[in-house]
Amino acid sequence: MKRPNLSQSRTTIVSRDLLAALAFACTLSLGAARADETCSSPYLARLEGQEELVYVWTLGVEGLGDGVDKLVTVDVKPGSATYGKVINSVSVDGRNEAHHGGFTDDRRQLWLAGLENSKVFIFDVHTDPAKPKLMKTIDNFAETTGGAAGPHGVYALPGRVLIPCLSNAKDKGGRTALVEYGNDGNFIATHWMPTKEDARGAANAQFADGYGYDARVLPRKNALLTSSFTGWNNYTRDFGKLTGDSEAMKNFGSTMVMWDFHARQPKKIFQVPGVPLEIRWAWGEKHNYAFTATALTSKIWLVYADDKGEWQAKEVAPISNVKGGVLPVDISLSADDKTLFVDSFGDGKCRVFDVSDPQKPKQIYEKQIGKQLNMVSQSWDGKRLYFTSSVLARWDKTGADNEQFLRAYAWTGKELKPAFDLDFTALKLGRPHHMLFGSTKIGAARTVASRE
Amino acid sequence: MNFHWSGRFVAAFATLTLSAAISVGADLPRDPDYDYDPPVPGSYALPVVKAAADGAVLDSNGESVNLRDLTHGRVTILSFIYTRCAAGKACPYATGVLNQLHERSVADQSLAKKMRLVSMSFDPEYDTPQRLAAYAEAIREEKAGCDWRFVTAKSRAELESILVAYGQTVDKRPNPTDPQGPLYHILRVYLIDREGRIRNIYSSGTLDLRLVLADVKTLVLEEAKLSTQ
Repeated sequence: MKRPNLSQSRTTIVSRDLLAALAFACTLSLGAARADETCSSPYLARLEGQEELVYVWTLGVEGLGDGVDKLVTVDVKPGSATYGKVINSVSVDGRNEAHHGGFTDDRRQLWLAGLENSKVFIFDVHTDPAKPKLMKTIDNFAETTGGAAGPHGVYALPGRVLIPCLSNAKDKGGRTALVEYGNDGNFIATHWMPTKEDARGAANAQFADGYGYDARVLPRKNALLTSSFTGWNNYTRDFGKLTGDSEAMKNFGSTMVMWDFHARQPKKIFQVPGVPLEIRWAWGEKHNYAFTATALTSKIWLVYADDKGEWQAKEVAPISNVKGGVLPVDISLSADDKTLFVDSFGDGKCRVFDVSDPQKPKQIYEKQIGKQLNMVSQSWDGKRLYFTSSVLARWDKTGADNEQFLRAYAWTGKELKPAFDLDFTALKLGRPHHMLFGSTKIGAARTVASRE
Repeated sequence: MNFHWSGRFVAAFATLTLSAAISVGADLPRDPDYDYDPPVPGSYALPVVKAAADGAVLDSNGESVNLRDLTHGRVTILSFIYTRCAAGKACPYATGVLNQLHERSVADQSLAKKMRLVSMSFDPEYDTPQRLAAYAEAIREEKAGCDWRFVTAKSRAELESILVAYGQTVDKRPNPTDPQGPLYHILRVYLIDREGRIRNIYSSGTLDLRLVLADVKTLVLEEAKLSTQ
């Protein structure tokens, strides 16, 4: 557990931590049947009741433990003797720049991607959810997909997954694609991101830059929205050297693209300067909008359907007034669409915005989570949030600032209260990145639930 | 033969059929669940997902049939169901969409000749050929139109290999008297081309009659294009 106030007695701190952990754990009964992550695919079978497990895709660190990437399983089932502890770890082959992943729609498989060598590791999380088993590795991604590289997220679609990529095998720049694989691990299709030269009929072709990052669907609008980051040449480079290279710093994305999801055709390109990363669609039945945060300009952007039903994008709020920005990375929207949590790598803070009026987000709270901060996963009932620290192996901070953790908090509606803390360096695990919720109790997809 | 379908199923199916009739009659407008204009048939690609698996099944007359014979030669919509399902947006919904497709095919000779519908049960112990025949009789409103076959598995073992090949997961619910039915499953409906290749997989979030029709017509156009080359 992180204890920032060293003047307090250990007894007092432990008691407070214990109480907070108990309060965190006790949200299970209140959240029954309304659990799961708020950012998951609507096509994904949802968890019934509170999450029991948090899977953490973890980058290996040379000289630390076995030094390779691994899938770490943390027990978060309240009342469990191992609550808040690592209960399993499965190492994969080598260091692959472990980054993001996702489940197949039936939630039986967890696909985890490596950005550096484009490997995708497929785990069985159905047979024994507490002990995932590596069942297949895709190690010919670039060859199979026609040159796409840097598989990023894994997004469940019916019977298949959508993998937005960051790069390409030819020049390792930012020109990239969306790739589809069947749940069997069979390649289906590659859809290259639109460029000025090949916009494929999309409006605003003059803005097209070909970069990719996130890809998320609003099913009832047949809308697929994508965002943009940078290519292999940049994300595998030392962060200090990269930011000192003005030419390299020009090679970042500044667009989002709205697609006809069913046809997989780009329809409109939005100019969103400063690297729009994670996309979060609102869940409300009439909420036709999504949020993103721009990493290099520290802004919240809204992509929304206007009064005529046309998709538009606009900047709606700054994220801090710190000079030079705070490098916002992951965001998490509450299931009621009222609260947006924004993690910033630069200052290690989570800022919380009231987004009840999506056009006018207002910051209502902030919390220092660590010296560096990346991912946030939120339970469906909005009462539990989990944070991890690592961005990229060569971009993470160094020395004492290189904290590597999974920290769990309870959200009271007004503040974040610590629940438990896992030090991934002390545990010799590595750099924790993407988190995904698991359980032994799986139900129907959210698209079903929303219409029943 | 007289079977008594569950009240929940009949109510769910009746609602869907009524809304279907209205939708079809109004030339398939948007609705709150599918609030968009579908793509124009032939204006987009449907990449091959994988080959549609074969397997030994029984039709509603109790005759042995190879599933392969029901997934080749026509554009096929294959829906895995079980008749005891009472989850409104699962099997009753899927069967409702197939019923709408069947109704469309009555007036559309191209669909009547080039499309086939297959409803396959994954509950063979309950869904015997006799029950499927009664089920088909209860829900199929038009005798004309495209071929619509109702099949079940010969055995649990043969069913399992088919389900695995298609990626259709089915589990028993903890409560066998669950109001939604005794089985839990992901809704899966498959679009299969005349060569027996899966070209799309629908769930409740994408099983929009307009999209399915656009896809079927896209494959019909593709076939016509290939035949003229």
